[in-house]
Amino acid sequence: MLLQQLINGLTLGGVYAIIALGYTMVYGILELINFAHGEIYMLGAYLGIIFLGIFTSLGLTAANFPLALLLTVLMTVLFCSAYGFTMEKVAYKPLRNAPRLSPLISAIGVSIFLQNYVMLTQGATDKVFPYRYGETHIRFLSVDLTALQAAIIITSALLMTGLHLFQKTRMGKAMRATAQDKTMAALVGINVDTIISMTFIIGAGLAAVAGIMVASYYGIVNYSIGYMAGIKAFTAAVLGGIGSIPGAMLGGILLGLIESIGAAYISSEYKDVYAFIVLLIILLIRPSGILGGYSEEKV
Amino acid sequence: MLKLTSLQASYGPIRAIDGIDLEVNKGEIVCLIGSNGAGKTTTLMAISGILKADAGDIFFEGGRITNLPAHEIVKKGISHVPEGRRIFPKLTVRENLQMGAYTLSSGKRAGTDEEGLIAKVFDLFPILRDRRDQMGGTLSGGEQQMLAVGRALMSGPKLLLLDEPSLGLAPIMVSKIFRTIREINNEGVTILLVEQNAKASLKLSHRGYVIESGAIALQGSGEGLLHNEDIKKAYLGE
Ligand SMILES: Nc1ncnc2c1ncn2[C@@H]1O[C@H](COP(=O)(O)OP(=O)(O)OP(=O)(O)O)[C@@H](O)[C@H]1O
Ligand SMILES: [Mg+2]
Repeated sequence: MLLQQLINGLTLGGVYAIIALGYTMVYGILELINFAHGEIYMLGAYLGIIFLGIFTSLGLTAANFPLALLLTVLMTVLFCSAYGFTMEKVAYKPLRNAPRLSPLISAIGVSIFLQNYVMLTQGATDKVFPYRYGETHIRFLSVDLTALQAAIIITSALLMTGLHLFQKTRMGKAMRATAQDKTMAALVGINVDTIISMTFIIGAGLAAVAGIMVASYYGIVNYSIGYMAGIKAFTAAVLGGIGSIPGAMLGGILLGLIESIGAAYISSEYKDVYAFIVLLIILLIRPSGILGGYSEEKV
Repeated sequence: MLKLTSLQASYGPIRAIDGIDLEVNKGEIVCLIGSNGAGKTTTLMAISGILKADAGDIFFEGGRITNLPAHEIVKKGISHVPEGRRIFPKLTVRENLQMGAYTLSSGKRAGTDEEGLIAKVFDLFPILRDRRDQMGGTLSGGEQQMLAVGRALMSGPKLLLLDEPSLGLAPIMVSKIFRTIREINNEGVTILLVEQNAKASLKLSHRGYVIESGAIALQGSGEGLLHNEDIKKAYLGE
């Protein structure tokens, strides 16, 4: 029973962690809470449905499902990254030297805009994911999980490993350097604007994958799903220490575990509350989050 | 090599430098001295493109570089060790040095020997070799200053801008840094040095400029300024 809940929590937590990374990376560089990040995840869910629909009507899904899914993911990531890139250029870059409240308001504006844009173009009612897959059950150490759950856990783990490796590359180091000191980064020859764009592109790409995973998992999406997911992922990022990449990963997974264990052992009606209670407790003990703290060094 | 003509720059409504004319020839060490708030740091920040010029021009090797983005200016061969060192605190010593070579690997000059460059910095400052895997933020002030200079050398600059390299260092470190500046210059790097330590820097420099409230008040050879009565009174405490 406990093990079963751990697996459920890990599935959910992996998704939270993937979305939380986008919050934390942007915060690390711009000290901006990108409230519109949850909408990118929502767009990812919709675009996943749209692209898989296209590939199904082309007959690809029936002929070669893994290929259709892979192409769906690729196209969705591409589109969401473009959204992320554009969002920064249109809504945040012009406000880079403005008072801190301005980009925050702009972020809320983008969020409202994207929700309404999807509601108007896709309708206000729920959309169903066009294809059920990964429903085979796997029994593993008295735990019962679906192939899809396993795939979500593995994909999340791979994405996090990938991001970790990316941080060691030249571009990854430049991104860390930029987060630590933008002026100095420019002085060593880093194009800070490019790095900021990259951050939005990567964050949006990750959210896109999360969107597809959740859409396949629950089989249903709605234009408003970005709101709750965004709040949860933001909570995860703060829990782990906003600005810290390992913190976002840890925070996401913890949040998922807390939710599923709380739902199983206390009451599922308060599912959304446990996370916030834990957040409050952690912030009382460690105001900068579990792995946060170096952010205080920032001048 | 570097030439500023009537350069003006501001922070918001406040004009910080107001018509700077200054020239640095190839191979020289030129120092810029002046009291606190005179505009020394601002001048360097304008040269390296962090601060936009309101008016006036900056020429480097004959080309106009006024208001180019900072990362383009580094590529032209100007490297800046800013006031306060600004080591990347959460990157290791090695990673800090690698960031110094950022423009090399991105430019056309493929196959630069980054390891060789790092080894050269370690030869110049052996203590950094022992600290190579330590986080930049955990270094002592003196070590950070060495790392800041080493990082600036990684891009193979033609012109090095140094902003108060001796600030906050113990006397023994100060003379070490000044010796190193001469060594770097002997290897063919031109240097524009901003210093509070007027005496030591004038001794080291071929020429010097004195900046007062955002404009050049005086200029001359290092030796000449060292014996100038006004300078003696105002900056050398004699
Ligand atoms: N970021 C800033 N915002 C507003 N004003 C500034 C800023 N930086 C410097 N100034 C002002 O510009 C003027 C020149 O400052 P600058 O830092 O260039 O002086 P400096 O000669 O380097 O002094 P110091 O020897 O103390 O480093 C000062 O009056 C200072 O108050
Ligand atoms: Mg200064």
